[in-house]
Amino acid sequence: MKLTRKAALVMAAVPAIVFITPVGSASAHGYVSSPPSRQAQCASGAVQNCGGPQWEPQSAEGNKGLVTCSGEDRQDFAVLNDDSKPWQVTNTGTTLTMTWTFTARHRTRDYEYYIGNTRVHYVDGGSAAPVDPVRHTINLSGFSGRQKLRAVWNIADTVKAFYSCVDLNIGGTGGNPTPPPTTTNPTPPPVGGTWAANTYYAVGAAVTYGGSSYRCRQAHTSLTGWEPPNAASLWEKI
Amino acid sequence: MRRLVIVVAVLALAGCGGEAIVPGGQSAHGGHDAASTAPPAPAASARFNDADVMFAQMMVDHLQLGISLSQLALAKATKQEAKDLAGVIDTTQREELAMLKSWLKLWGKPEGGGANLHAAHGGQPLLDDKVINDTKEKSGAEFDLTFLNLMAGHQGAAVEMALTEKKEGSNPETMAYAERVASTRQGQIAQMLKVISEQ
Repeated sequence: MKLTRKAALVMAAVPAIVFITPVGSASAHGYVSSPPSRQAQCASGAVQNCGGPQWEPQSAEGNKGLVTCSGEDRQDFAVLNDDSKPWQVTNTGTTLTMTWTFTARHRTRDYEYYIGNTRVHYVDGGSAAPVDPVRHTINLSGFSGRQKLRAVWNIADTVKAFYSCVDLNIGGTGGNPTPPPTTTNPTPPPVGGTWAANTYYAVGAAVTYGGSSYRCRQAHTSLTGWEPPNAASLWEKI
Repeated sequence: MRRLVIVVAVLALAGCGGEAIVPGGQSAHGGHDAASTAPPAPAASARFNDADVMFAQMMVDHLQLGISLSQLALAKATKQEAKDLAGVIDTTQREELAMLKSWLKLWGKPEGGGANLHAAHGGQPLLDDKVINDTKEKSGAEFDLTFLNLMAGHQGAAVEMALTEKKEGSNPETMAYAERVASTRQGQIAQMLKVISEQ
C-alpha cells in the first residue's frame, strides 16, 4: 500500500502549497491611469528606477484610511511617497476627470479623493464590482497651484484599499512645470541591422539576431521578450 | 475565512476533476494567423511542479480572453495605436497558446481550470464573456478607452502571474516563458498608458 500512502501524502500537501502561494503574492488591484498617477508614470517609463511599481502599478495596497501614496503593504512601493522624484505634473482647471484601471474586480465600498486632509470628492461604490470604464469627474474649486491628489479605492469585502497619487498644478497659467518625458523616441534601425527592443519594424524589415537573419511578418513595436527566436509569429527566419 | 473555503473548493475541482474545458477555441481570423505557419513551438522539459502547471493553465485561460478582447479591438478600435497593439497581442498570444497547450499535453495535465484558479487569487477576474459582450456595445472614443483600460489591466494581471511563476516554478522553459510574459506585458502596458494619458 505504498502507492496509496504516497498518493494520500500528495493530496494532503497540494492544498497547503497552493493555498500559501496565491493569496499572499497575487490578488486583485487597481490604480489611476489618467491623469497619470505616480505608479502609472513608473509603468509607462515616464519616471525611471521605480522598482516594484514599474511592474505592478496596481499593487499600492494597504489598510483603509492611510495618508500615503504607497499603501504601506509593500516596502518596495515606498518610492511612491518620495516627493523629490521627477513626477510629471498635470495642469488642470478646477474640473478633472479621473480614470481607473483594474487588474481584477473587487466589490467596492467607495472611492475617495483627498488633497491633504480634505476630502474633495466621494463616490459610493454600492458594494458592486467596478464596470469599465470607471471615470469620476471631480471639482477642485478652492485649490490652486501645486497639489498632490490622493485617490483611494476602498474595497467592500476586505480591510484593504488601493492608493494612487496624482501631482497637479491647479489653475496654472503659463509655465509648464512638467519635465519633458525621459523616454527616447524609437528610431528606425539601419536596414539589416541587429534586432533591438522598443523599435518599430514594418512588414518585411530584415534584422539579424544571434547570428541568424529574420524577416518581420507583422508590423509591431518590438519589446524585450519578443526577440526573433522567441516570437516566430512576428519573425520569419531567412 | 471565506477565501480559504473558496480556495479549498477550487482545489477540489482543479486537483481532482481533470475535466478540460476550453472556452471559445480558435476564432476565425482573416487568414493572417501567423502562428499556424510558424515553426513548431519549443518543447518543455518533463520536470515541473504545481506552480508550473497552475501558471500554464491560468495563462491558457488568460491568453484566450486576451485574444477575444483583441479581436474586438481589431474590429472596433478607432485609434491606430490601439488597433496595432491589438493585432500584435492577438498574433503573439495565439503562438503562446499553442505552445502552452503542447506543454500541458506533454505533462498529462488538462488545459482547463484556469478560470477557476483565478477565483482563488482574490476578487473576480477582470475579463469574462459578459464584460467582453458589454464592451462590444461601445463605439468610438468610449470603446477605445474601455479597451485600453481593460487590456492594460488584463496584462497587468499576467505580469503578476509571471512574477509568481518566476519565484515558485521549477520548469526552466516555463520560467523563461514567464520572464518573457513579464517583460512583454510590461512593455505593452507602457504603450497603453501613454495612449490613455493622451485622451
